[in-house]
Amino acid sequence: MSAEDIHGSAEVAARVERRWATIAVIIIVMMALLAAFAGIHRATMPQPRVETTDPSRIHLSGEFVESNLGSVLEANGNVTVRAIGQQYSFTPACIVVPVDTPITLRATSADVVHGILIQGTNINTMLVPGYVSEQLMRFARTGDYLMPCQEFCSFGHEGMWGKVKVIDKTDFAARAKAGGRLSCVGQ
Amino acid sequence: MLANRKLILAHFWLAFAVFGVALTLGAWQMFIRSPIGTWLSNPELYYRSLTAHGTVMGYVFPTLVAMGFGYAISESALEQRLVGVRWAWGGFWLIVIGSIMAVIPVALGRASVLYTFYPPLIGNVFYYLGVVLVVVGSWIWVALMSINLRVWRKANPGAAVPLAMYANVAGSYLWAWTAVGAALELLLQIIPVAAGLKATIDAGLARVFFSWTLHAIVYFWLMPTYIAYYTIVPRAIGGRVYSDSMARISFILFLVVAMPIGMHHTFADPMVGAGFKFIHSAFTALVALPTLLTVFTICASIEIAARLRGGRGLFGWIRALPWDNPMLLALAFSFIMLGFGGAGGLINMSYQLDASIHNTQWITGHFHLIFGGAIVIMYFAIAYDLWPHLTGRDLIDLRLIRTQLWLWFIGMIVTTFPWHWVGILGMPRRMAYFDFGDPAIAPQALSVTLSAIGGFILLSSGILFLVILARGMRAPQAEAGPYRFALAVHQPATVPIALNTHALWVALMIALTLTNYGYPILTLAMTEGTSVPAVYVGAQ
Amino acid sequence: MMSARDLFTFSNPHFTRGVGITAAILIVTAITGFIVLPFAQPWVQFANVWDAICSAAGVPQRAATITAPGQDKRLSEVVLTSNTLSRPSQEAIGRGATLAQRCAICHGPTGISRADSPNLAGQYAAVIYKELHDFRSGARTNAVMSPFAVNLTDQEIADLSLYYAYLPRLPAYHPTPQLPKPNIVIYGAPMRGIAPCGSCHGSLDNKTGSPWLEGQSEAYMKAQLHAFASGERRNDISQQMRNIARAMTPQEIDQAAAYYASQPPDVVKAVD
Repeated sequence: MSAEDIHGSAEVAARVERRWATIAVIIIVMMALLAAFAGIHRATMPQPRVETTDPSRIHLSGEFVESNLGSVLEANGNVTVRAIGQQYSFTPACIVVPVDTPITLRATSADVVHGILIQGTNINTMLVPGYVSEQLMRFARTGDYLMPCQEFCSFGHEGMWGKVKVIDKTDFAARAKAGGRLSCVGQ
Repeated sequence: MLANRKLILAHFWLAFAVFGVALTLGAWQMFIRSPIGTWLSNPELYYRSLTAHGTVMGYVFPTLVAMGFGYAISESALEQRLVGVRWAWGGFWLIVIGSIMAVIPVALGRASVLYTFYPPLIGNVFYYLGVVLVVVGSWIWVALMSINLRVWRKANPGAAVPLAMYANVAGSYLWAWTAVGAALELLLQIIPVAAGLKATIDAGLARVFFSWTLHAIVYFWLMPTYIAYYTIVPRAIGGRVYSDSMARISFILFLVVAMPIGMHHTFADPMVGAGFKFIHSAFTALVALPTLLTVFTICASIEIAARLRGGRGLFGWIRALPWDNPMLLALAFSFIMLGFGGAGGLINMSYQLDASIHNTQWITGHFHLIFGGAIVIMYFAIAYDLWPHLTGRDLIDLRLIRTQLWLWFIGMIVTTFPWHWVGILGMPRRMAYFDFGDPAIAPQALSVTLSAIGGFILLSSGILFLVILARGMRAPQAEAGPYRFALAVHQPATVPIALNTHALWVALMIALTLTNYGYPILTLAMTEGTSVPAVYVGAQ
Repeated sequence: MMSARDLFTFSNPHFTRGVGITAAILIVTAITGFIVLPFAQPWVQFANVWDAICSAAGVPQRAATITAPGQDKRLSEVVLTSNTLSRPSQEAIGRGATLAQRCAICHGPTGISRADSPNLAGQYAAVIYKELHDFRSGARTNAVMSPFAVNLTDQEIADLSLYYAYLPRLPAYHPTPQLPKPNIVIYGAPMRGIAPCGSCHGSLDNKTGSPWLEGQSEAYMKAQLHAFASGERRNDISQQMRNIARAMTPQEIDQAAAYYASQPPDVVKAVD
């Protein structure tokens, strides 16, 4: 091989390599754009605020006292669900919500790190003691969903399974008339 | 020539011995929580085993492999006796002591907090101190790699640092910096509480610190594998590295962008602002770049080998490859698993897709496929390739080696594919047992059973691996000659200074850490009232 | 050093490109993440750009105070942490011993009840502390117990708790043959949200405020489980025990109570 050949082949190699690098960069930029697009148009975004709370006193005052846990129909027709995770259950242990309604889930942990995962949906958030988790959700189908704790929370973790019951809108409205916070505990 | 064979062998043997133990625990875990196992009357045993498995596989095993391989690279690529051998042994013994210190409380059930710690759960203080010692031992190696390179540079001013050593040192710097996150979490937060000096801890801050380590540690695990892709495989099959500079760029890209992306582990967490989550998400996309470049360069390097062997045609060259060569086989398996695992990783990196699989069995499937699959199979290959040089004896039975690699590959696919699937179905991680009798999760039973069978295939492969290495210690003597690394097609005589040193990229790595982690850490550290009472594990 | 000067200079294309591209990516993603996306998200309206940036950066704020609907029954107001009563002193135990004389009629002079009252000898201090506070506040009521608790001071409650925690655990007075562990105790019932009893009640781990149960009266435990299940007893913080008891079947309640009553107390782990 002459020196010219070597030089030529090095140039070819570099050119091919640059093309591949360009393709790789394009792939990556596309992925980042997709994420931004989904964030804007599909309204799936992380919670907008960082809120703190004292886990050992949540049962004394504030929004996570026992009488405020559960689902409530807001004036604008939306629903707010407040829940806590603790070793080894969620309260309410069964969450009831209406179908096809914008729902805000606000939840926190009373002791260690837990997680809320509603199977068959993309509702999935960590519960970190000291901080309030917030997640928007909307169920397209009525029915029962499982809600396991998805983070190791010590030796009873395998027994920490809650439930979500998605019911008809009118049913929910009828139940909400009585006031208070709704849940499907004991049903 | 490898002058310090004993040092390197000690690292490898310890690495593979603890690997064997942790692998056995892993297979047991897969079995016991599957429908073919019976429920544990004490779920704590499962979490105890899980803690040991994770701690060994995450901290001890890959660190020892990287260290042993690093010493081998330093001696052979630089053709220079290792400087600081006593220190190297010191680092090794620190890891031995640290591992023993950590494993005793774990074995006694006093530290079943899993390798991710996640306070406010707090275990026995000696567990955390042991982990710290392991990390400190590995930092000695980082320093030695840097010193050895410096000594070599003095003797060879202006010369191009051999690619293997350049990458090795990049990996060591990445580890040094990425371990800082967990070290801060342990030293500032967890150990004072575990030792009884404090009773509260900021769980959110701890998770942010841990995410600093948790992601980039994967790239530290990956470094030996990538070094093997670039500098061992092409040589072993008679090819050449397609491009020396592209290889260097891949390694420095890992150095820069592997680190400031860890918060994609906290997408679902309440203590990190949405803006930082997006930045980390975008940077996580970037880390795919060095892998895409590597896939191209390695495929091209392999093609060179095939064409040198007379391969023809657009794809016909693939048939001309030496498929009976274990290095090629390992590489092919590694790439396949990297491909699937990488595709899964793209799903994890975006907030929107991550929501459906976060903390499900998908995640465990994902990192077993990437780490246990793509990365560890190349650790096997590295060991096979180095063994004759370390023992002065041949590894004769190539068929057995190929069988071992096949078993590992099949086992990993059988284990992780169903694992991913049940993750999509919403099966949560880290549970000691599941009630598959309940109709709501009964459909997951078959997949979990398959995974458990895969676990036993992996175990058999792991045992075979240890047998092959042990037999290699007793084979007839044969001098393997100097240990060499692959050369590039256009082997450069000089390299631009930026690609011959690490300073610029280390500076960028630290700068990006400050921009991407500085504010979230400071603000959480300074906010009053975010510390919560510690919860001690295992009533002691 | 010569090389450092060559490296960190704008005449080095690697430096210029490396720093430039990194900075550019950072700026673009920061603008997207801190300004564009906050205004695009659906659930909070920001007054201005600065608000959006602070929020996206994660400036922590206290959760808003909300007035919750009133509670018709009193609930527990005790704050328990792993640190509660963790440092017993001899003086406190001594004072507790004197106070405990009035408890002996039901709970036994050695802390072991001859009736169906709970055995207190060697119980976790935090448990006695919490129940006494709840009896005093009215979060838990009992015709016999409430009048005793109502006049106790904070200090007396702490002293009593430490004294009983200090007493040695003795076998119970209602000897029955040891029963095998029923499934509900060993495994719980995962899909009904029941963890193994021992993960809180001492044999695997102790959740602060949960008692160990070995050798307690079967009738007492049964009554409490039914009271939790019906909601008649509700001093468990945030329903931690009601959630479990409600999900148990009557048979499981019988089995669990009978099993624990038949156990000797020495299998319980100490608490830290």
